[in-house]
Amino acid sequence: MANMISRERLRRRLPALWYGTWLLRTVFVFVFIAAGAAVVAAPPPAPTGLTAKDHGWDKGTAVDLVWEYPGEAALDGGFFLISYAMDLEDDFRIAGQTLGYETVYTVNGLTPGVDYYFKVVAVNSALEESEAVVSEPVAGRLQWVDGSRIWFLITVMIFCGSVVYFIRHARKGRPLKVRKIAGLEAVDEAVGRATEMGRSVIFVPGIQDMNDIQTIAGINVLSRVAQIAAENSASLEVPTTRSLVMTTARETVQSAFLRAGRPEAYDENKINYITDEQFGYVAYLQGQMVREKPAACFYMGAFFAEALILAETGNSVGAIQVAGTAMPAQLPFFVASCDYTLIGEEFFAASAYLTGSPEELGSLKGQDVGKVLVAIGIVLGVVFATLASITGPEGLNLESYHFFQGFVDYLQGTVLH
Amino acid sequence: MAHAYTPGLKVTEGAILRRRRVLPIAGEVLVEAGARVGARDVVAETFMPGDVTPVNLANLLALPPADVPACMLKQEGDWVEAGEILAQTKGFWGFFKSEATAKVSGRLEAVSSVTGQVMLRGNPLPVRVLAFIPGNIIEVIPGEGCVVETEAVFVQGIFGIGGEAFGPICMACSSPDQTLEAEAITPEMRGAVVVGGGRMTLAAIRAAKEVGVSALISGGIDDLDLQGFLGYDLGVAITGSERMGLTLVITEGFGDIAMAKRTFALLGKYAGREASVTGATQIRAGVMRPEIVIAMDPDVERSVPETARQDGLLEIDTTVRMIRDPYFGQIGKVHALPAEPTVLASGSKARVVEVVLETGETVTVPRANIELIEE
Amino acid sequence: MDLDKINVILATDCGSTTTKAILIEKVDGQFRQTYRGEAPTTVEEPFADVTIGVVNAVTEIGELAGRRLVDEQGRIIRPASDGEGCDIYISTSSAGGGLQMMVAGVIKQMTAESAKRAALGAGAIVMDVIAANDPRKPHQQIQRIRELRPDMILVSGGVDGGTTTHVVQIAELIAPAKPRPRFGNEYKMPVIYAGNRDARPLIEKTFDESVDLKIVDNLRPVLEQENLGPARDMIHDVFLEHVMAHAPGYDKLITWTDAPIMPTPGAVGNILQAIADRDGINAVGVDIGGATTDVFSVFNGTFNRTVSANLGMSYSISNVCAEATMERVLKWVHLPMEDRELRNRVKNKMIRPTTIPQSLEALVFEQAVAREALRLAYKQHKEFATTLKGVQQQRTVGDTFSQRMSGLTIVDNMAMDLLVASGGVLSHAPRMAQTVAMLMDAFEPEGVTYLAKDSIFMMPHLGVLAQVHPDAAMEVFERDCLIYLGTCVAAKGVSKPGKPCFKYRLHGSGLDEAGEIRFGELKLIPFGPGQEAELELEPARGFDLGAGSGKRVQSKARGGTVGIVLDGRGRPLVLPEDPAQCRTLMGDWVKVLGLYADSDQ
Repeated sequence: MANMISRERLRRRLPALWYGTWLLRTVFVFVFIAAGAAVVAAPPPAPTGLTAKDHGWDKGTAVDLVWEYPGEAALDGGFFLISYAMDLEDDFRIAGQTLGYETVYTVNGLTPGVDYYFKVVAVNSALEESEAVVSEPVAGRLQWVDGSRIWFLITVMIFCGSVVYFIRHARKGRPLKVRKIAGLEAVDEAVGRATEMGRSVIFVPGIQDMNDIQTIAGINVLSRVAQIAAENSASLEVPTTRSLVMTTARETVQSAFLRAGRPEAYDENKINYITDEQFGYVAYLQGQMVREKPAACFYMGAFFAEALILAETGNSVGAIQVAGTAMPAQLPFFVASCDYTLIGEEFFAASAYLTGSPEELGSLKGQDVGKVLVAIGIVLGVVFATLASITGPEGLNLESYHFFQGFVDYLQGTVLH
Repeated sequence: MAHAYTPGLKVTEGAILRRRRVLPIAGEVLVEAGARVGARDVVAETFMPGDVTPVNLANLLALPPADVPACMLKQEGDWVEAGEILAQTKGFWGFFKSEATAKVSGRLEAVSSVTGQVMLRGNPLPVRVLAFIPGNIIEVIPGEGCVVETEAVFVQGIFGIGGEAFGPICMACSSPDQTLEAEAITPEMRGAVVVGGGRMTLAAIRAAKEVGVSALISGGIDDLDLQGFLGYDLGVAITGSERMGLTLVITEGFGDIAMAKRTFALLGKYAGREASVTGATQIRAGVMRPEIVIAMDPDVERSVPETARQDGLLEIDTTVRMIRDPYFGQIGKVHALPAEPTVLASGSKARVVEVVLETGETVTVPRANIELIEE
Repeated sequence: MDLDKINVILATDCGSTTTKAILIEKVDGQFRQTYRGEAPTTVEEPFADVTIGVVNAVTEIGELAGRRLVDEQGRIIRPASDGEGCDIYISTSSAGGGLQMMVAGVIKQMTAESAKRAALGAGAIVMDVIAANDPRKPHQQIQRIRELRPDMILVSGGVDGGTTTHVVQIAELIAPAKPRPRFGNEYKMPVIYAGNRDARPLIEKTFDESVDLKIVDNLRPVLEQENLGPARDMIHDVFLEHVMAHAPGYDKLITWTDAPIMPTPGAVGNILQAIADRDGINAVGVDIGGATTDVFSVFNGTFNRTVSANLGMSYSISNVCAEATMERVLKWVHLPMEDRELRNRVKNKMIRPTTIPQSLEALVFEQAVAREALRLAYKQHKEFATTLKGVQQQRTVGDTFSQRMSGLTIVDNMAMDLLVASGGVLSHAPRMAQTVAMLMDAFEPEGVTYLAKDSIFMMPHLGVLAQVHPDAAMEVFERDCLIYLGTCVAAKGVSKPGKPCFKYRLHGSGLDEAGEIRFGELKLIPFGPGQEAELELEPARGFDLGAGSGKRVQSKARGGTVGIVLDGRGRPLVLPEDPAQCRTLMGDWVKVLGLYADSDQ
C-alpha cells in the first residue's frame, strides 16, 4: 500500500517525470526484446542523486527518498533495495524495496528527531547488486497535523457542518422537508380505530433490553402512541420482556399522558413485565390478543422468530398493525402481515419525525448529507474500478488504466484510509 | 318610479324609535310597562347556568366507573368548595384510602357510573340588558325583556366595531370632509361620542382610545387602518363583540370619503347632547347596522316631523350616492331612468340610472350601485 | 301517483333573499322548463310568512304562462286541468340561513367525520364538530356548545359493539350544556343519535327531557363502512318537523308540497348524484354564493359535499382576500391595480353586498377573487372527500416501499368528467369564456373535462323533482338546466415554456383540425353547442392526458357556447412569482380566450 501512495504522490509532484519514465521504460523494453534475450547480464549501474527529505504532515516517523536511475532497462525484473542506519558505521537495516521502475520510497517507523542515513542499491533479476548510494543524514520531524488524515477531517467537517447548518436552518423556522412516513402517520388512525371499537392498543417494544438501539427507537415511538392514546382516552397496554424496558416504558407513557393533559388517566398497571423467556412472552401475548382482540398493535424494536407469530395473530384478530424494526430477516414478515412497516432507517428517523424538533430534524438532514457523500464515493469507486478492470492491466490502453486504477487506489488508500 | 336596490341608511331628526331589548335566554324583567328609563338602566337580568367542569373520578381514584357513586362523599346537588374532598375509596380495612379533591368550586350536578365522571357547575353568570335608549317602556315581554320607545334623532352608520357605548356628542371636525387626525382628539373628550368628518386615521383612533373616548364616528376609514387597530384583517362583516375599549362607527364606507352633509349637520346640531351608540353590524340576512341615537326630552322639545316621502323610491331628481367604484362616494341627482337594461363597461347587462353629479357631469350607473340619501 | 299522467310541474326554491319558481311542462312528449318567476322571500318581518313570497313568484309565472296556478284563497291549484293548476308542486328551502347543525363523534377523523358527511350530505351547514379527541378541554367544548344555537345535533360514535364510554362522554358534554335551538324558545333541541347500538340505553339515560332524542341506525356500523342513509333521512325529517315547522309560514307550505321540502344544497347534491349514477361519470358541482361556497362531487359513485362557510363573493369577499392574500388574488389580474385602493373596494363590497361591478377593472378583479374563492373551496373539498380512515390494510411484500395510507382524497381531477358551475359570479359572467377561464384556473381539470353551467340555478328544483319523477328531472336537467360551455383538454405535467406538450386531432361535426400545443400555450377552438367531435390526443413524454405519461388518448369533445379549450399551461398550474411577468402572462391568456372586451382590440 505504501508504495502505491508514494507513487501517487510522486505522480502528483512530478507528472512529467512519471510519464517520462513510463515512456522510457516502454522504449527500453522494446529495445531489450529487439536486442535478444540472450544478452549476458552485468552488475547494474548504481542509482544516483539520492535525496532524503522529511515526510510532511506526519508524526515524524517517515522520510521520503527520491533518486534517479540511469540504467533502468537493465533493471527490468529487478528492484531497488532501501536500507537505513543512524550511523554510517552501523549495519544498515533494510527498510524495503521498490520495483525496478520506481525511484521513490517512503521509509516508515523511524524515531522522530534522530538523523538517519539512507542507502539505495539496485538489484537486477539475476540478483546482482549495484554499488550503493547513500544520502545525507536526515531526521524525521514531528508535525502538528497528520496529513494522511486530511480526508477524514474533510468528511467530518462536511458531515458535522451540515448537521449544524440544518439545525440552524430549522431553528430559523424554515421548513425541513421529511418524507411522509406512512407508518407513523398511521398511529393516529390505529389508535383511533381502537378507540372507536372500544378495544385496547398493544405496544410491543421488542424482546431486547434497553442497550439495544432498536428498543430505544421503539420507546420513542411509544411516546407518540401513548400521547395519542391519552388524547383519545384509549386503553394502552405495554407488555415487556425486560424489567428495565418496563421501567422506561412507564416513565415514557406517564410523561406522554402528562403532555396530553390527562395525567390522571395514566395507569401503570397496564405496563407490565411478563418474562425474559422469548416464547413465554410470545405465548402470553398471543393469548392476550386472542382473548382481548386489540384493535391496534404496534411492534417496535428488535424482533426474532416471534415476529411472524405476533403479526399473524394480530392480523387474524383484525387489528391495524404497525411494525418497526431494523432486523432485515424479520422485515418481510412484518411487511406482509402488518398494515404499515417502518423499515430500518425510517424506524430510527421516527423520533425526529415525530418530535419535529430542530435539533433532531437538523441532524437527520445532516446524516442524509453524509449518506449522499458515501453514495457518491461508492458510485465513483465502482465506476472507476470497473473502467480500470476493462482497460487494463493487460488491456489496450495502459495509460487510462493507470489513471483509473490510480483513482481507485487513491480512494481506497488515502480517502478511506 | 322604481325601487332602489339598496335603500339608503336612515338619517332622521324625528323618529319614533322602538327597540326590543331582550335577554338571550329567559330571565327576569326589571321594569314595568309605562316606566321611564335611562339609557344605562338595567331592564332585564338573568343568570346563565354556570360553567361546567367535568372531573373524572374513576381515573383519579383508579376505580371502575361503576364503583364511583358508592365512593362519593358529596351527593348530587351539594355545593363543593375548591379543595374539598369529593370522593374517597373504601380502601383495605380502613387503610390505603385514596381521595379526590375538587379543583374548582361548584354544585355537584351529576355522577356518571358509565364514565366515572362527575360534573361540577360553577356559579351562575349574570347576563344584563340595558335600556340602550332613554325612553318609555311600552311593552313588557314576560321572561324575555321589554320594548323601549323614544322620540329621537336617529343616524344609521354603514359599518361599526364594538358594542354599546354612551356619551355626549362632541364635534372634532369643522367640515364633513375634514380628515379626523390625532391632533383633533383632546383630553376633554374622555367619555364622549366624538364626531369627525371624512376619513379617520389610525393615529386618531389610537389617540381616542388613549384619551378614553367612548365612541368615534366618522365618514370613512382605510382598510389598512382598521386592520392596524383590530390587529387582524376583518373577514366577515359581523361585528359588535369586539373588546377594543372604543366603539367605531363609519357612516359612509371605506376609503377617503366625506360624511354626508346632512348627517354631519344633524350631529353638529345636537352637539353636547347625550347619545347612545352601538357598533354592532351584521351584513347578512337580518341585516344590522350600527346606530347613533340622541333621545329628545319629551317635556322640553318636539321632534321635527319626519318627511313624508316614501322610502326606497327612485324618482327623477332624487338625490343618490354612488356606492361602488368608479364613482364611489359621489353624490348626484337622478336624471333619467331608462327602462331597458344597458350594457356596462364590464360587459354585463343591468338596469341603470343616469345621474348628474355635483360636478355637472352625467354618468350612467347600475341601479344596484346607488343608494338613496336625504340631503 | 301515476307518473305518466303528469304534465305540469311547479317547483319553488325559497332562498334567503329571493324565492324562485319554475314551471316544467310536457311539450311534445318531453319535459321542458318553460317559465320562471321570482319574488322576494317573505320569511322575515313584516310578512313573516314564506308562502306570500311563494304565491308571488308563482303568480308571476302564471301571468307569463297564461295559466292560472293560484286560486282565490291563495292556494296552488292541483291537479292540473285545462289551462289551470299543476300536477306536482315541490319546494326547497334555504331561508333563514339554511339548516345549521352541530355534529359529534368519538374520533374526529372517523365517526365524527362520518357524522359531518351525513350532515353535509343532507344539506346542512356544520357549525362545529365535537369529538373525544378534541384538543379543547371538556369545559371549553361545553362552552362552545352553549354559544352555538344549532337547529339540531347529530351524535354518533363507536362502531356497533364498540366503545360506549366515549359515546356517553360526548353525551355528557352536550346534555349539561343545554343547547338552545335557533328558532322558538319553546321547542326542544332535536338530538339525533346514530352511534353504537349498545350505547342506546345509556344515551337515553344521559339526555333528560330538555332534548328531543331520536335514535337511528349507526352511521358507521363497522369502521370499514358508512351507512349514512338513515341518519340523513332523519335529518330531513327533523328539518321538516322542527326547523321548518317553526319558521314562519312553513307549516302551511309543508301541506302544499307533494314531496318533503328539502334544504336547497341537499337537493343540488341529489340531482348531481342522480346524473352521475345514470351516466356513470364523475362529476363536480360548485355553487358560489355571497357568503358561502358549496362544492359537490361524485367520484366512482361516492357523493361528497362541503360548504366553505366564509368563502363567497359579497358578504365573505373580504375573507377570501384575507385567506388567499391579496398578492395571490392579483396574480389573476392582467391590469395594473393599486393595492390600498383595492382593499377599500373589497371592504366596500362587503358592507354593500348588492352592488355589481360597473367598470371592466372591477369585473376583472371580482373574477380574480372568484378564482381564489373557488380554489380554496375546492382545496377544502379535496381534504374532506377522502376514503374512510381507521380501516385495516391488506399488504403484500410488494408494498414494502409504497405503503399507501387510508384517508387519501378521492377527488381526482383526471377522472373528473363534468364540472358544473352555478352561482352569480359564474353563471352571470358577461361572457361565457370568463366562466370557462374561472373554472379552469380554479379547479385545474386534467385530461378531457366537459364544462357546463346551471342556467338559472334550477338544480335545487330538479333535485327534489328527481325524488318524485326522476325521468322528468333528468330530461329537464339535460335540455334546459345545463348550458354546456365546452370541453377543456389539459395535460398533467410541467415542462419548460415552448417544449412540446401534446398533439391533437379533432374531426367530426364539420371540424377537422390537428396541431400541437406547446407548454404554456392555450388555444381556443370554437365549437358550437350540441356538436360532438372525435378527439385524438398524443401527449409528449412527461405529460399525461388520462392514459398515463406519454400515452395516446381517444376521447370525445363536446361543443358548447365557448368551444374546445386546449390547455398546455401544465398541471399543477404554476404562476410566475414576479407580478409584472404574471400580468403579461394573464394578458396573453385573456387574449387567447377573448375574455374581456378590451382584449379584442
